[in-house]
Amino acid sequence: MAGERRRRVLARLARGVDPEPKRLCQVCAEVTGMSGAGIMLMSGDSPEGSICTTNDVSALIEELQYELGEGPCVDAYRQDRPVLEPDLARPRTPRWIAFTGPAVDAGVRAVFGFPLQVGAVRLGALNLYRDQPGPLTDDQHADALVVADVAAQAVLVLQANAPPGMLAAELAEGGNFQYVVHQAAGMVAAQLDVGVGQALVRLRAHAFGNELTLAEVAVDVVMRRLRFGDRSDEKDPLP
Amino acid sequence: MASMAREALFARTLVELADTLVADFDVVELLTLLTDRCVDVLDVGAAGLMLVAPEGDLRVMASSSDAMRVLELYELQAQEGPCLDCYRTGVPVVNQNLADVNGRWPRFAPEALAAGFSSVHALPMRLRGTIIGALNLFNVEPGVMRPADIDAAQALADVATIAVLQHRAALEAQVLNEQLHHALNSRIVIEQAKGMVAEREGLDMEQAFAALRGHARNHNLRLADVARDIISGALPSSSLDRNLGTRRS
Repeated sequence: MAGERRRRVLARLARGVDPEPKRLCQVCAEVTGMSGAGIMLMSGDSPEGSICTTNDVSALIEELQYELGEGPCVDAYRQDRPVLEPDLARPRTPRWIAFTGPAVDAGVRAVFGFPLQVGAVRLGALNLYRDQPGPLTDDQHADALVVADVAAQAVLVLQANAPPGMLAAELAEGGNFQYVVHQAAGMVAAQLDVGVGQALVRLRAHAFGNELTLAEVAVDVVMRRLRFGDRSDEKDPLP
Repeated sequence: MASMAREALFARTLVELADTLVADFDVVELLTLLTDRCVDVLDVGAAGLMLVAPEGDLRVMASSSDAMRVLELYELQAQEGPCLDCYRTGVPVVNQNLADVNGRWPRFAPEALAAGFSSVHALPMRLRGTIIGALNLFNVEPGVMRPADIDAAQALADVATIAVLQHRAALEAQVLNEQLHHALNSRIVIEQAKGMVAEREGLDMEQAFAALRGHARNHNLRLADVARDIISGALPSSSLDRNLGTRRS
């Protein structure tokens, strides 16, 4: 049964012209009958970035989780089990206070996170979303487990071909690892003479306070449109 | 002969081993558990397990007793015995009466007899075409192993095979995953250092990157290490080699 599902997933992947991660995400969404999918890498307790998303909404789901540190993927990874929210607009128990509003506004009605793991090795999580509320059927759930498994193996296989110390080109190119955010963190650390960790906190706080995304704030910093002064604030962009 | 009890014990052993396989398991611990259970379930005096090392030679991985361990080591040293025959041919070696092996193992047989064993068996650990080792079973009492017990022993050897292969795959996955996160982390540190150098030295990101890379090359350092030193303050951005990063006007 599981073997048959696996065969079906692999057959779909093989049909793709190029075995790039983008295709991997498309197959994850197609096989499970969802509106979109994304694959997020995580380490320690936090998201590191996304290797693929199928559309703008799934990209937003990943970005929100990266910024806010909460959401279905983060929970699936931390709790090491599937996390299912069949009705995000009217959840039975409210969770993901910051994540939910913007996700619902973008049209997400049901969202599911599945851990990405090979044996005891945990890589990240797969997120699946749908623009209609409703639970996964047993078949969809079983398919999601298989695609998450295949995706985890695929990520490691891709990375196996990378030169030492480098991220595999296939993973790096299609992914979003928020490099601009890290550049901005380096700049703000220099502006405020604080560590990069603290600089990142200041960037997040500014984004939250001004209802901007972290990436938007980071671009402003890198483009030198926004400067963090040592006195108070980040509210004073340079003219 | 309490065959019902033995069967139940055998079934419980398989479940116990399968349970151990699920989580993050220690392969030597699991194989030792397996040799201990062979003694309980199969009515043999001792059990041992040898695996082929990456270099191609067999190694003793687990033994139910010290006497067994010594004998297995001796078998490897003498390069003869049931385990080696089984590994080389891929065929089970069963019911070999040590008093009656007719010069098959001129060095091993007398040692095993002296250690108190009377008959020996070895079953291959095999997956498709590959033989990865063998399970050795030694009897103290003379007599033959029944076909049902040989089947049960082969089932336990099969579980051991799966455990070892799964462990190897898991190790490989672990190494790859560490490489993946290490590579990501290096990249993040480099981006942070670019930002810091850009801000302090009035450079754009490309120029900052060129300055970091130029410094790494000139000093034969890794880029990620230079970046870490910039972040920690160990290397002031003003001391980066400036010949490669041209200052923005």
